[in-house]
Amino acid sequence: MKTDQTAGSEENCMKKESTAILLRIFIGESDHYKGKPLYMHIVEMLKAEGIAGATVFRGITGFGKHSRIHTTSILRLSTDMPILIEVSDIEENIDRIRPKLDEVINQGLITEEKIKVIFYDSDKNK
Amino acid sequence: MYTILLVGIGGFVGAILRYIIGGWIQNGFVDFPVGTLTINTVGSFFLGLIMYLSEYQGVFSDQTRILLTIGILGAFTTLSTFGYESFRLLDDSKLTLMAINVVSTVLFSMMAVYLGKIVALSVSSYLLGGMK
Repeated sequence: MKTDQTAGSEENCMKKESTAILLRIFIGESDHYKGKPLYMHIVEMLKAEGIAGATVFRGITGFGKHSRIHTTSILRLSTDMPILIEVSDIEENIDRIRPKLDEVINQGLITEEKIKVIFYDSDKNK
Repeated sequence: MYTILLVGIGGFVGAILRYIIGGWIQNGFVDFPVGTLTINTVGSFFLGLIMYLSEYQGVFSDQTRILLTIGILGAFTTLSTFGYESFRLLDDSKLTLMAINVVSTVLFSMMAVYLGKIVALSVSSYLLGGMK
């Protein structure tokens, strides 16, 4: 991974730029693995694998393979809302977790793209 | 205790019926709560039918009425979902749809009870005619 580091104007302010891989994992709220919500299992697995970062988003409307629209506005359609997990790390780490994701995801979608990461690491606001 | 059990059994059946029928009707409609409107209208019809049949003909015993009306139809129809979905329409600034939902639910539910009464009267007339 190519990394450029730029020291900020103030002391302790560091900005790093690099390239990485972004995985976007689309699953459903009702998906479970071993009795635990699948998104929670995936996040815990990513943490255990030492992945740089992951964020889980809950969708408010969407549809998938079965073309059933889920929305919180209609009570009967408010089940199995979309869940999106975004994971970004260097390619070799993403390659390492891919088989583990294959094991736990039965229905869903993963998209993958190369991204530019701008990482800020500063102590000035703490 | 037996009565409470009847209400519970009826509620179990009614809630499942609402889940299945409501989902089947709502599937494909995301802008308007047509499932809840239909459920409340159909439930009102059967409530009117059962109550007027009981009044005119004594068709259902007290216990059967509790099972059917308070149990099954009580769980089948839903005021809270109507309130929630109407508020969500208001919250999403869909005032026309909200007004249509509120007016049509109240109007259709009352008309459905009236229809239930008409059907109950027809059934009563038929039964009385058969006795002559």
